[in-house]
Amino acid sequence: MASTTQFSGVERFDAASKTSQDLSGAWGIEFDKVSKSFGSHRVLVDLDLQVKAGEKVTLIGPSGSGKTTVLRLAMTLEKPSAGDIRIHGESILFDALGKPLSSAQESRIRRRCGMVFQQFNLFPHLTVLQNLVLAPTTVLGQAREQAEQAALEYLRMVGLESKVNAYPAQLSGGQQQRIAIARALVLKPEILLLDEITSALDPELAGEVLDVVRRVANETNVTLLIVTHEMRFAREVSDRICVFDQGRIIEEGVPEKIFVHPERERTRSFLHNVLNH
Amino acid sequence: MSWEWKFVWDMMPQLLLGVWYTIVVTVLSSVITLFGGLLLAILESVSTRIGRMFVRFWLELFRGIPVLVLLYFGFYVLPELGITLSGLAIGVLVLGFVYSAFCSGVYRGALITIPNGLRDACVALNLSPYTTWSKVLVPIMVRRAMPALANYVLMLFRSSSFLFALGVPVLLGEAQQVASQTYHFLEAYTVAGVFYLAINIPFVYLLHRLKVKHG
Repeated sequence: MASTTQFSGVERFDAASKTSQDLSGAWGIEFDKVSKSFGSHRVLVDLDLQVKAGEKVTLIGPSGSGKTTVLRLAMTLEKPSAGDIRIHGESILFDALGKPLSSAQESRIRRRCGMVFQQFNLFPHLTVLQNLVLAPTTVLGQAREQAEQAALEYLRMVGLESKVNAYPAQLSGGQQQRIAIARALVLKPEILLLDEITSALDPELAGEVLDVVRRVANETNVTLLIVTHEMRFAREVSDRICVFDQGRIIEEGVPEKIFVHPERERTRSFLHNVLNH
Repeated sequence: MSWEWKFVWDMMPQLLLGVWYTIVVTVLSSVITLFGGLLLAILESVSTRIGRMFVRFWLELFRGIPVLVLLYFGFYVLPELGITLSGLAIGVLVLGFVYSAFCSGVYRGALITIPNGLRDACVALNLSPYTTWSKVLVPIMVRRAMPALANYVLMLFRSSSFLFALGVPVLLGEAQQVASQTYHFLEAYTVAGVFYLAINIPFVYLLHRLKVKHG
């Protein structure tokens, strides 16, 4: 009798862990028929994109094809004109009754995402350490010491622990961007959005930033959604590449397929233009 | 017309009282100006259309009417409406309101020059609106606005002389009183002018330093 109870308990436990495993194996972030217009200009048209938890997906394509908008929508910096976006199956736009989320609900779900920008966007009046502890102490309510400890850990990860007390203006662009990556990571996001993070840097500095992203990709299980023009990097770090043109995904697949055997003429001409200049 | 040092010496206590009142008025109304201007700029930025219209109206009111008119209104008209304040209080409030209207424009200008990317970063870090304003936007606004704000504080300091019209013993008021009692206009107004200038000079130096530091 006792053993039966125990057995059913284990069974229940197994079932529960399986469900949670199913969830983690499920979509990290999904875009469901998402459209976005600015005035009469349609930036995204009926976008369907599913990214698995832990997957590294890179969006490539010509300027103005809507790649950055995808990231800004995921970060709730923009609202879609139509469609829905879900993180771990939970809409970032509507509650269960289909009503728009309150700002508190939005803030709770936004916590799962972090973003790094093309222009770094470090706070110029704060030191490196202050940049890193501001969100943990105010958003997560961490004690200052604990937040500083965590910040130092991430600064070591990006190789800049010696710059704790520097101001952003005293750092090179590459260093600033590495700090920005650390600043996003201290909040432990499940999904990290990287928006052309090397576009404002010269090639040498871009290299050190990409090295940091490689480490993040290899050493954490964070879901990466990347917009970049660095094709070699995209090929190396991505599980999957999506090619954008005029607000639509025109082709997607593993890097090998996209870079070596692209099916669409538009993909071929885009890659030709990017790789030969 | 001849310069008599003895009168200069005799009127010193009265003029120094004027210096003291001038400094008190300047400091008190500067506090209203610097905080009030910031508050108006933030209100204008975050409020709805109606709130923004109210702020606009407030700004035009205090920027559009001459200081002396506002002072007389506060001193002679407000008591008829049941609000009786001392000349000093009215003077400090009027100067504070007038210059906070000017300074809110300075703060607003500083706010506009903050790149949108920094606000995006605040959203991406999930900072609350309160934290975004108090820890990011306001400190940057204040830094950028500082040189222009110092300029307005300087103007406010000179405008404090208007308060003699309400009988507040600011430097000009005291000089006028001494002059009219003794008919030594030359000494009274010259020394008053020199005092104004002497207080001004450290301010100007500070302003120069700020401009060098904050561009």
